[in-house]
Parts: sequence; C-alpha cells; structure tokens
Amino acid sequence: MNGYNDKLYKILADVEKPARYCGGEWNTPDMTKPRKADMCFCFPELYEIGMSNLGVQILYDVINSDKDFVAERCFAPAADFAQKLKEDNLPLLSLETKKPLKDFTVLGFSIGFELLYTNVLYMLDLAGIPFYAAERGDEYPILLAGGPCAVNPEPFADFFDIIVCGEGEEADLNILRIIADGRADGASKSEILKRVKGVEGAYVPSLHKDGEKVVKAVIRDFENAPYPEKPLVPNIEAVHDRATLELYRGCASGCRFCQAGFWYRPIRERSADRCAELGKNMIENAGFGEMSLCSLSTGDYSELERLEDILIPYCERKRVNLALPSLRISSFKSDMARHSRKSSLTFAPEAGTQRLRNVINKNVTDAELDNLAEAFEIGYDSIKLYFMLGLPTETDEDIAGIAEICKRLKGLYYLKRHKRGLNISVSCAVFIPKPCTPFQWEEQASFEEMLRKQNYLRSLLREIKGVSFSWHGAETSVLEAALARGDRIQSKVIERAYRLGAKFDAWTEQFKWDAWTQAFADCGLTMQEYTRERSVDEILPWDFIDTGVSKTYLLKERELGYKEKTTKNCREGCNGCGALKLGRCTVC
Amino acid sequence: MLVLKYVKRADSCFISHIDLLRHVSRILRRADIPVKFSQGFNPHALVFFSSPLAVGVASIAEYLAVDTDMNGGELFERYNLAVPVTLAAIETFECGKNPNLQGKITAADYVFDTPFRQIDLSGFQIEYEKKGKTVIEDVSDKIYGSTNADGRFALRLASGNTSLRPDRILSELGKRLRTNLALSDICKTAQYVGTDGGFEDVDEYLKRV
Ligand code: SF4
Repeated sequence: MNGYNDKLYKILADVEKPARYCGGEWNTPDMTKPRKADMCFCFPELYEIGMSNLGVQILYDVINSDKDFVAERCFAPAADFAQKLKEDNLPLLSLETKKPLKDFTVLGFSIGFELLYTNVLYMLDLAGIPFYAAERGDEYPILLAGGPCAVNPEPFADFFDIIVCGEGEEADLNILRIIADGRADGASKSEILKRVKGVEGAYVPSLHKDGEKVVKAVIRDFENAPYPEKPLVPNIEAVHDRATLELYRGCASGCRFCQAGFWYRPIRERSADRCAELGKNMIENAGFGEMSLCSLSTGDYSELERLEDILIPYCERKRVNLALPSLRISSFKSDMARHSRKSSLTFAPEAGTQRLRNVINKNVTDAELDNLAEAFEIGYDSIKLYFMLGLPTETDEDIAGIAEICKRLKGLYYLKRHKRGLNISVSCAVFIPKPCTPFQWEEQASFEEMLRKQNYLRSLLREIKGVSFSWHGAETSVLEAALARGDRIQSKVIERAYRLGAKFDAWTEQFKWDAWTQAFADCGLTMQEYTRERSVDEILPWDFIDTGVSKTYLLKERELGYKEKTTKNCREGCNGCGALKLGRCTVC
Repeated sequence: MLVLKYVKRADSCFISHIDLLRHVSRILRRADIPVKFSQGFNPHALVFFSSPLAVGVASIAEYLAVDTDMNGGELFERYNLAVPVTLAAIETFECGKNPNLQGKITAADYVFDTPFRQIDLSGFQIEYEKKGKTVIEDVSDKIYGSTNADGRFALRLASGNTSLRPDRILSELGKRLRTNLALSDICKTAQYVGTDGGFEDVDEYLKRV
C-alpha cells in the first residue's frame, strides 16, 4: 500500500457513502503478484452503477486471471469526493491499491452510453491527465476505450490512443501484451501503437487512414469464454446487486431499432449446463441473494427449460431469488413466472399498433398480448409496459394504440380476477436512430414534435384509471441522438460542454441542456445537423467498422420496415445478415 | 445460539451498518452456514447484531449472534474463510439463549489515537448539527471514565439506549487541535453490559448466559 491510504481515510469521514471509494471488496484478486503491466478500468459513472456493469466484471476477471497482468478499478466520484480531492491536492486513485491513475501502464475506459462522454473528461481532469491523445507523451498511461459506444467511436476518438471495437475478452489481453512487451524493450508510445494496430478490433485513431477497415472483435468460443465466477461483492448496494448470468450474446429477434441486437451478432449461446455451473459458482463464491438471467431476450434462450430445471431447485435450497427480467410477451411462459417473485411483470411491446410493430420488426402480436391473462390468473397485479415514441412512420393512431393496449389489459384482468385494480405503468423512451441498425439513416423527431407526442399520449392515458406514465426527457434524447451519430469534430464539443460544467449528463437533476447547446454553438455546430435524416449514399462516421452485418442487409431491412413487412426470427433460419463471417450463429 | 466476536477495521470501517446487514447474509450463504429462519409469512434469518458502529470508526469488539445447529469451532472456521481479514472473527461463544446484545449493552471503550493524553471531562461539551441547527450539549454524564493504558488515550462512552457517538468527541478534539482528525483514528476496544452500578465486559457476560 502506498502513502495515499492515510490521506484518503481522512477525506472519507466527510463524504457521502465512503465505501464507494475504499475498495477491499470480497473476491478482490491478488494485487501483489508480479506483473508485466497494470491496467486500471475506469468507469465514468458512480460506484453503484459501475459495479453493476457485467462487461467491467468480465474484463476485470480476464485480466486478473492472466499471470502477467493486474487490473484495478476506478469509478467517477460524486461531487463531494471530487471537491475533497481538489482541496487536499490529491489525484484520482484506484480502489484496490490507491494508486494514482497517472501511474498505470494502461487506463481502460468502459463507455456504455453517450451521456457519459463528459464524465471521461471529468475523471481525466481529476487524475491530472491531458484530455487529447496528441497532448500526452510517453510519460502518461496509454488510454484505451471500449464498451457499447465503440459502435461509433468517432466523437471520443481524439481522447484515446486505442479503441476496442467489439468484445474485449481477447482483444484487451492481446493489446496489453503488446504494450507490456513494447514498454519492456523501450519502445515509444507511437511505436507501440503501430504494433497494436493489427490486433482484431483495435482502432488506433491517430494512425487510421481513410478507407481502412477495423473488424469488430468477436469471441468465437462463447461456451468456454471466461466468466467472473468469483464476482466482486459491492461494498454498498449496487443498482444490480446480484449474480448476473449471461446466457447468450446477440439476439435472434432482429428489432430494427436495436443497436445491441445487431452489434452483438453472431448469436452465440452457452449451454444450460455451463450456465448453471457458472451461476452456482457465483452464488457459492459471492453469496448473493439474487440471481438474474441476462441476455437481450432471455425468454428466447433455447435451453431455458433445462436451465430452470437445474436452477430453480438450487436457488430454493439456497434461498436465492431467481429473477427473470425482460421477458418478451411472445416467450411468456406462465411456468416461468410462477417461479419468480410476483412483484411486477415487465413487457416491451415498443409500439402501440400491429402496423408499427411490423415496421420495427417487434414480433409481438395483439393475440400474444392476450397471453398475459395467464399471468393475471396466477396472481400478478401490476405490469410495466415499455414503449418508444417517435419511431419511423409513427402516426397519432399508433400512439393512441398504446392507450388501447392498456384498456385491453385492464379488460383481461377484470375477466380473470373479477375485480379492478390492475396497476399499469407505461414507460416511453424516445426513439434514437443508432449506428449499425437498419434505422441508422432515419431522422429523429424534433424536440417540439416529441413534446407534442408525449403530451398527446399523456392526455389519453390520464383517462384510464390505474395507469401511470413516465417518459424520457426529450432534451437528453436529442443530445444522445446527436452524439450517437457524431463525428470527430465532436470531441471539441464534448470538451467545451465539460468546461461549461456538463458532467453526469445521464442524471436528470445534473443535466445541463444550456451547456450543451452552447458547446455545439461555440464549435459552429447544431444538434440538428446530427439528428437529421442521412442520405443512403453519405459516408457515415462509423462506416469503417466491419460489424459483420453488411450495409446492404441494413438497407434491405429498412425497406422491409417501410413496407410494414417483418423478418423472421433467426432461430427459424438464417436471414443472411453477413455476421456469419465473424463466427458461427449457434441458434439456426 | 452462537455469538461471533469480530473486528471491523481498515477499508471495512467505511461499510455502513445497513450495508453490513446485507453483507452478513451473503457471508453466511457463501460460508454455507445453516442459519435458522423465523416462522411466518416473511421468514428472516435469525441473526442479531450488537449496536451499530459509526461509519469510519474501527472496532475489535463487534458481536454477531447466529441461530444455528453448527458447532462454534466450525462456524468460526467457515465464517473466516468467507470474509476479508478486515471483518475477521476473533472468538466464538456458545449461549443457551439469544443474549439480546442490542438491548443489554450500555457502554463501550474507544481508543482515540490522537496527541491527547488526558482531557478535563467535567462539563465536556460537544457541538453538532441536528436538523440544520447547531446543538451544544454537555455530555460529561455520558462519559463514564478515561484511561491512558499503553500511552493511548481511551474513553468509556454510553452506548445503547442513550449513547454518545465517538465521532462527535473526535471532532471536538479536532477543534481543540485545530486539525481534522480521521475517524479511522478511533477504535472500539470493548463493549459492556450494565450490572448493578457497574459494567461487565460482554465477553464475560456471554460466557455466563
Ligand atoms: S441473420 Fe443469420 S448470420 Fe445474421 S444473426 Fe441471424 S442467424 Fe446469424
């Protein structure tokens, strides 16, 4: 332990939730082993959010399991702690050994959401590290970024030396090896970056030439891919405070708005036996009282029944609550629901009418909604419904369809239970056209139009008893859309917004719309330039990434959407998206 | 009923009592300790704690009662394999019944690792914020004595129903020294149950019940 511990302890007495900053979690790996290089995972959100992130847990485990490397963690501190650091002239420290971020060989930022971009700068600022890669000499750590936002890394490309596009399990280790060897033989940062450039999934912005492609990194043997069987047990209650079991990657549904569904192709499942073994090990090693099955559409997992047969009795014996979230209506099995806690059902029809659901390829039919009657029969009294507003081709009739669904469910409930009292909570996100989806060219509804749609829906739902309505802020959605399809110039906008006080943008109470509009304006830009419709022959900032799924396929899917035609689930047969070239889909 | 005496120190000092409750249920699960559960609609594990420790304060005398059929030696061993050293158990006691420590404990000793060797306790006042207002309170009746064993300054403070938080004493000491003292410089070293006009160390009490 270095000399920062004492100084840190003095600060901790005066901040909220000090256990966010002290480390020492159960299952922390050996931090004293000899190493060729060390890396600090930086998560640009608070501890309790970052500790819930499966990606970080997986990669942390992968690196610490390697004999040559050690990984530590650092989360974005809350304002009170940041203030204390500044007052006491302390740099941002890692949790495990309280080492200044500046002293690591590599810093690896996990960026899962566009509204976290300013927090990257916030952390670098507190760490005393220059923002731009071009401003950092050999004395600084090499900065790596990865995570879901690497789908379009251009807005933050100037801040990083390397960006991992795709899955990090193998890519991170390969890169770390090259960096460690390079540092050992005295290579300069630019020499090391040249060597890294060839690694699958590695995008080196400073060396990238027009026309070059970066192929997305993919784990081919998902069955045996490493998994954190000894997960860290968070010091304070995390948002998802449980053992999380990833059943498969990718999604066979092909919803046309869903970035994750296209980005994580090919679709790779783990066997039920392997999943069960991992799940049990997590419970034995961490002691969590809850286990959740996590995938993009858990109910579609092909060996779900077998997995339940093993896990349900195990969890009962261990007094572990087995949570089965985000079920799709079409995969609703009352059997499954019978075994989970009957607090609330969660379903995501996404759109109010069959027509619009066909456009977005959300294969939930009105008839399937009627299956919910079974759930009411076995005792469910409340239901959460997720929708999106502002979808391509949406009309007021589609919005009214959302209210119709609520009425229909209330009717079903009454039929089954002979009483009123079904609680429905309707939650509406704003459609955001995202890169690497069939809707990547779409325009986002204007701010004013979005407010009109939200108000219209609110007025309809107000008339139905027992329905509560919540919606995403139109402002944050416009910003998210502008950044999601952003380009290199945006690094200047992000820096400007940070300087104007923007950080923790995902927190409504901290969101500074004015700072962002001014930041765009100061850089001679507007958000509307980014939320407009893109023409199909325009070169898009993320076109250089080969995700496996061809642009022709995305365009074909878009056309089918306009024709209100659906595409079958990949489990019924391959639709020829192109992802097969990166690895085998195990579901068709 | 088994009672574990355990420490809470270093990083673990910063875990709040509420979080500790959650941790203990995980510790018992991963240690595979068969804890008995209450009957009824909402069964809960029969696990009982001594009074909460202020966040940031260390202790070498915390207690955790567990209703289980396991023997003390095995519980001790399994528990210690399932916790970080900063929460390690140091002793076990077997009791015929629930010792009800939360209800019985009346005092605790705290060592203050500060430059102070002795302070005048008569009319000792502390100042703290309560609901946005500054309160000044004479707490000398809640300080039961001071010692200076091995050169370390220690106070016996009221604990339980009427209690005096050691962190408030510390901030008063800090004010006198014109410096900010770290809470981790306080360590609880013993807890006591009340007897007729005196105190009995919880360790002795547990051997008796
Ligand atoms: S379309 Fe074929 S290759 Fe693409 S995800 Fe579906 S099954 Fe895999």
